[in-house]
Amino acid sequence: MTVDAQLIEHMMNPQNYGVLKDSDAEGIGKNPQNGEKVIIFLKVREDEEGPFIEDIKFQAIGCTTTVVAGSIITTEAKGVSFERGEDIIAFTLGMLDRVPPEEAACSEMVAVALKAAMDTYVERQKDPDFPIITYKIQKNCQTDEGEKADENLVDQNA
Amino acid sequence: MKTLLIKTHEVWLEMLMAAFMSQSENKQVLFHFSEILFRHFTWIENEMIVHGEAYDYDRDMIPIKVERLSEILQHTIKHLNEIDLQLLSSPDKALSHRISSDIRYMREVLGKMKDENVNSAFDMRRTFPGVPLSQEATDALTIFLFEESYKEYELIMIYNYLKAHSKDAYMNRIFEILIEESFFHLKSFGDMMAKMGILAVPRIVHKELYQVTDVVDFLSKGIDEELAAKEECKKLSRAVARDSRELESFFDFINNQENYHISLMKEALVHYTKEHHG
Repeated sequence: MTVDAQLIEHMMNPQNYGVLKDSDAEGIGKNPQNGEKVIIFLKVREDEEGPFIEDIKFQAIGCTTTVVAGSIITTEAKGVSFERGEDIIAFTLGMLDRVPPEEAACSEMVAVALKAAMDTYVERQKDPDFPIITYKIQKNCQTDEGEKADENLVDQNA
Repeated sequence: MKTLLIKTHEVWLEMLMAAFMSQSENKQVLFHFSEILFRHFTWIENEMIVHGEAYDYDRDMIPIKVERLSEILQHTIKHLNEIDLQLLSSPDKALSHRISSDIRYMREVLGKMKDENVNSAFDMRRTFPGVPLSQEATDALTIFLFEESYKEYELIMIYNYLKAHSKDAYMNRIFEILIEESFFHLKSFGDMMAKMGILAVPRIVHKELYQVTDVVDFLSKGIDEELAAKEECKKLSRAVARDSRELESFFDFINNQENYHISLMKEALVHYTKEHHG
């Protein structure tokens, strides 16, 4: 990881780290290779334009890079509509091939956790007991980029 | 009791961070106080287990960035007052009295502590006093300190949880040694972070990590993690070797300490397997 002042700020004071006790939905991004995971908690408000992320928190079982990615992505996602949230996810997933493998895996884990939390919210509007969705990542932080992890499986209630 | 546990956890870490920030004779007193608060934490935890109260190690984020030591000490005194109030509703009066007595003394000492400027613990300058490091070595050391200070805190919480829930004296002796070792490493890394201007509170540990359901699996994976930690120390030792003989030898020393942790964990694994799986 290239360490600059902005990254150090996120390492020293990770934004939105912790649990939202009254969350409306949660989602998990998981690395099936090493068991690392990110859990995202969302507080959602609905307005005339649809749902938007009123508050967001995350917890990580992972490395410092994952925490930095979580801090940056959740800061971006806080206060935005689900539509904009999808853009943030697409942008993050789109740039993974241009960053080192370990950073790619960590960022992907946060992005798919956000996607899982938003999808869980949507499902819970139809079924309030819908379980937490887990998405597994495709990047592998330990080996060559060419070596792919499992397919991007949907593993509910994992 | 749950609020009492959370507040004690938070003030223990706050006191520990104040110790890291200090560069004067205050440092040792603050370290001792943080050790006392950690003991309070374990006693309260034990009370909760005895009374069958559910608990976890969740807590709030702890803001520590201050210009002067007196600022964080004022917060700490306020938090100690809150704990003292919480103790009034605690069912174990003897325990409450003991903790309250410690708090009274700590408040008095903290209130008279000589003030000092601690801004350098947070200025992100990332230079190590008297040790000129290359950019590459500085970056490697920065990442290492963030990763490993969290890891040591995580290990303290895991071993503490295991110890709190075990009645096996043999295992508890090993857990106690590993807790003390992790404290030593955490103190070393925290001091280095403060010297480099990057002091930070380790993040909250996820309950999945310390609420261990399979001790054999945990110890086996733990041994692998210690071996990986040795590799990290070796890498870092090599990265800083060109610039600083002092840091190289420190990381070799930490690396060699991991051998002892590995042998203790292997010992625990053999004992636990024998006791629980015949």
